[in-house]
Amino acid sequence: MTQTVLTKPQTQRASSPSPAVAPAIAVRKTCNPDGVGLSHYVLMDKKVAR
Amino acid sequence: MSADSPAGTHPDPTLTSLDIGHPVYAALLDPDTAFWALVDKTRVADTLAGGPLRDAYRQHADACRRELHALRFELKPSGVYLNPTERCNLNCRYCYLPESQRRSGGHMSVDQLLASLSRLRDYFRSIMPEGGRPRAIFHGAEPLMNRDAVFAAIDAFAGDFIFGLQTNGTLLDDGAVSFLTARNVSIGLSLDGPSAGITDATRHTWSSRSVHNRVLAAMNRLRGYGSWSVITTCTTENLPYLTAMVELFHAREVPTCMLNAVRCTLAGARDVKPDDGAMSRAFFAALDRTHELYRDGGRKLVVANFANILIAILAPTARRLMCDISPCGAGRAFFALAADGNLYPCSEFIGLPRFKGGHLLADGGIEAALTSDAFRSVIGRNVDAFSPCDQCVIRHFCGSPCPAEAHEMNGGMTSTGVFCAFYREQVNYALRLIADGKADDYLWDGWDDGTETLIDLAH
Repeated sequence: MTQTVLTKPQTQRASSPSPAVAPAIAVRKTCNPDGVGLSHYVLMDKKVAR
Repeated sequence: MSADSPAGTHPDPTLTSLDIGHPVYAALLDPDTAFWALVDKTRVADTLAGGPLRDAYRQHADACRRELHALRFELKPSGVYLNPTERCNLNCRYCYLPESQRRSGGHMSVDQLLASLSRLRDYFRSIMPEGGRPRAIFHGAEPLMNRDAVFAAIDAFAGDFIFGLQTNGTLLDDGAVSFLTARNVSIGLSLDGPSAGITDATRHTWSSRSVHNRVLAAMNRLRGYGSWSVITTCTTENLPYLTAMVELFHAREVPTCMLNAVRCTLAGARDVKPDDGAMSRAFFAALDRTHELYRDGGRKLVVANFANILIAILAPTARRLMCDISPCGAGRAFFALAADGNLYPCSEFIGLPRFKGGHLLADGGIEAALTSDAFRSVIGRNVDAFSPCDQCVIRHFCGSPCPAEAHEMNGGMTSTGVFCAFYREQVNYALRLIADGKADDYLWDGWDDGTETLIDLAH
């Protein structure tokens, strides 16, 4: 499942009489952790194709 | 968080602020659940005092806590590192395996390897969901020194394991590439420099001959394959060249690389250990360069060890690597089989006899090893339980790796990892990318396939 979750960032403040407040950003995705990974020495690709 | 059940009464979740070096945003984190939010720096005090973001997090805190507990304490092994030989044709300066083994150690016979895989298959069948296949990675020393046994094993157990091979690349000839790619084996190579002079400083034969061009030739053979990667071990010898390194990888269409800080488990590696500041500067310059290359040409070069930090923040259970979590994956998500048939929590421990958990084919086998004192000493390393990690707000994005290094270099299992400041900077950098809406640029396409959104707050 792919979803767009990141809120639009605001890295520059608008020049207005009352300064704009950057919107909060908080994201947490979750999945079944079984078989999630190995160590730094080997990366096993999820999809193997030639 | 303890290894006991996360259920029960928890105090109102506490958020702690963190300056991430961003012009607009600061981070608020609950280290116990790995929850984070980015808020306008001018509103940190207001947000900590209460309001909609805190109220919303309060609703999700228990779910975050349960998820992190399951990841840290409830996994069963789903992978094994197979060392089919003790020998290597190279003598790299930072290797974690003892020189005596690499120079003149033994091979596993074909029969020994097949018997080992049979035992491993039966074990994984007993603990994994039906239809699940464990991962088996042939690993170093140099597994292709025992090529016939490795290839026989891959063919004999093709339906039982998802296979990988980590190799120095020097023996990866046309025949080997044809065999491995026809069977969808994931392949990892190692190269430490953009030119022979840099690579040769740390990776060379026993007679100090260069292997740089042989690895480049192997990379050429793998071009276009869907599942390969290259590791660069970052040392004092190649830090100034990491940007050139990623340029080389991108030009040669390497899909994924890792820029791993050298593991300092054995003393020889410590001679080429960079300090955290130098490591950070070179690493982030290389990351910035990968983004420029992506922006200019539309093709990503994913730096997997950094991508893993990003994913640990965005989706803790979707991690691809299990070093940056505490307890780490050693002895609980995976374990290692040495060429003499003994089991270790991770290959990193194979040169350290006190961490031997027992023989695979002995009575008790894998189950006995997993509950041995040797394994329990590694599995029991918990950043919640020792200082200063227990007070660190990013401890579950970092994990204070690696236990082998901490034990051998820093004095014990309750010592911090070797690159503490470098990890803090990686987390800050990752959070800045999220603030700037660039995180996906540093991740594999489809990295979040199979995930669900637990939290998506915007206020």
